[in-house]
Amino acid sequence: MKDTAYTHSADASTVEEALAADNHQGIVDSEGATALAMQNTLLTPRFYTTDFDEMDSLDVSSVREDWDKLIAQMKSDPNKGHFKKNEDWDHVDWDGMEPKLKAEFIDFLVSSCTAEFSGCVLYKEMKRRGNNDDIVTLFQLMARDEARHAGFINDALREAGIAVNLGFLTQKKKYTYFRPKFIYYATYLSEKIGYARYITIYRHLEANPEHRFHPIFKWFREWCNDEFSHGEAFALLMKSDPKFTETWVNKLWIKFFLTAVYSTMYVRDHQRPVFHAALGVDPDWYAHEVFTKTSEITKQIFPITLDIENPRWQRGLEAMQRANVDLADAKANGKFFKRIGASIRAGAAFIGLFTTPANKHTAPASVRLEPAY
Amino acid sequence: MGLLTREFETAPCEVEVSHCFDSLHAHVKFLNGATINPGDEVQVQGPPVMAPYGEVVREQRTARITRASKLEQLWTRMTGDFEFMELCEFSFSDEVEITEETALGAVA
Repeated sequence: MKDTAYTHSADASTVEEALAADNHQGIVDSEGATALAMQNTLLTPRFYTTDFDEMDSLDVSSVREDWDKLIAQMKSDPNKGHFKKNEDWDHVDWDGMEPKLKAEFIDFLVSSCTAEFSGCVLYKEMKRRGNNDDIVTLFQLMARDEARHAGFINDALREAGIAVNLGFLTQKKKYTYFRPKFIYYATYLSEKIGYARYITIYRHLEANPEHRFHPIFKWFREWCNDEFSHGEAFALLMKSDPKFTETWVNKLWIKFFLTAVYSTMYVRDHQRPVFHAALGVDPDWYAHEVFTKTSEITKQIFPITLDIENPRWQRGLEAMQRANVDLADAKANGKFFKRIGASIRAGAAFIGLFTTPANKHTAPASVRLEPAY
Repeated sequence: MGLLTREFETAPCEVEVSHCFDSLHAHVKFLNGATINPGDEVQVQGPPVMAPYGEVVREQRTARITRASKLEQLWTRMTGDFEFMELCEFSFSDEVEITEETALGAVA
């Protein structure tokens, strides 16, 4: 990344180097060093296994032409070189940033970094244990992109004085399990909603540049195009076998995943009011925009979309949000009964959302889409 | 594998940690072909494998694998699916708890 002109204590491998780094210039005593403390966050991704034989049995021959084109495009790596800082990377005044905004923004960056990193770990594992060439190639390419995104966010964090700690491998970690079809639903949806989230912020800031308080937002468009093509690959995978989207049970699973992902996003974004205010974004407007775009895109493969215009939908989200606030408070203050009550309310709100009748669609014969927002 | 009992084994492994601008990743590869099943636990032995910024560190280590009991494996198969939210950028994670450390601690 940066040349050696500016050094940062996060790069240092010895104490002496750390204290000699530019961000510590002028500090001679330990008190001063503590005041300019480097913060440290340990990434702890989950580790996954799945039914690798089942995954190997996937056969993309029914969508071969689209598949080969997409993989060739991913192999050509159009975004290579994009994730570099150039003159557009303005100076960030981290010290002058309002502390609440700084905390929420860092939380946003760390969550994003963790998600990219977890994706990378998952895809690498699939790549390593799979034997089906098509699938292995796809996961290898996706692992490359996710690691690159994680590296880029990590760099932004380092500027803020946050060192990401990758020492988790020597901690005990349990491997959890994902059914292959759940990997397809969850990954597809997380890539597509990721695209919708990034592009909505990018377009908003394009129109309102005075709200762009950090240069990383300028990179969101190419970034989300990676997410978009990852999602395309999973759409093709699901298209390769009609059972993934057409059986009664799987339609219910799709609805479950849509509801869980949308409602989690709503609740989580409402936990960052200062961040959204700084961007000039109303979280309710943002959620509706992102859901609308995601629903439009997912019609390419999913036979249903959630009825986000139904008044029950917004009411349910708000109920879930309130329950979540109470739950967090109960957890923080050790209020046992309040915690039970809030959990029941959150569960009830989820059921209310899940049982809101969905819109049905006939999926198009051809799946492929290009990013259009 | 017992219904309720856990078993242990060790496996030689290669750990790769990349702390670069181009790629932030950390992976473990078992060198004896050991495979991991749902519910198993893996711990790479020795001190944390740390890569300074801009470097890729590759080390041969030993991993201790705790094999899940049959029951635990079944349970993980049934419940693991619900952890998928972590893949979303807006997921709830505990990792956002950032710990204050001095400059000395952070470079360890």
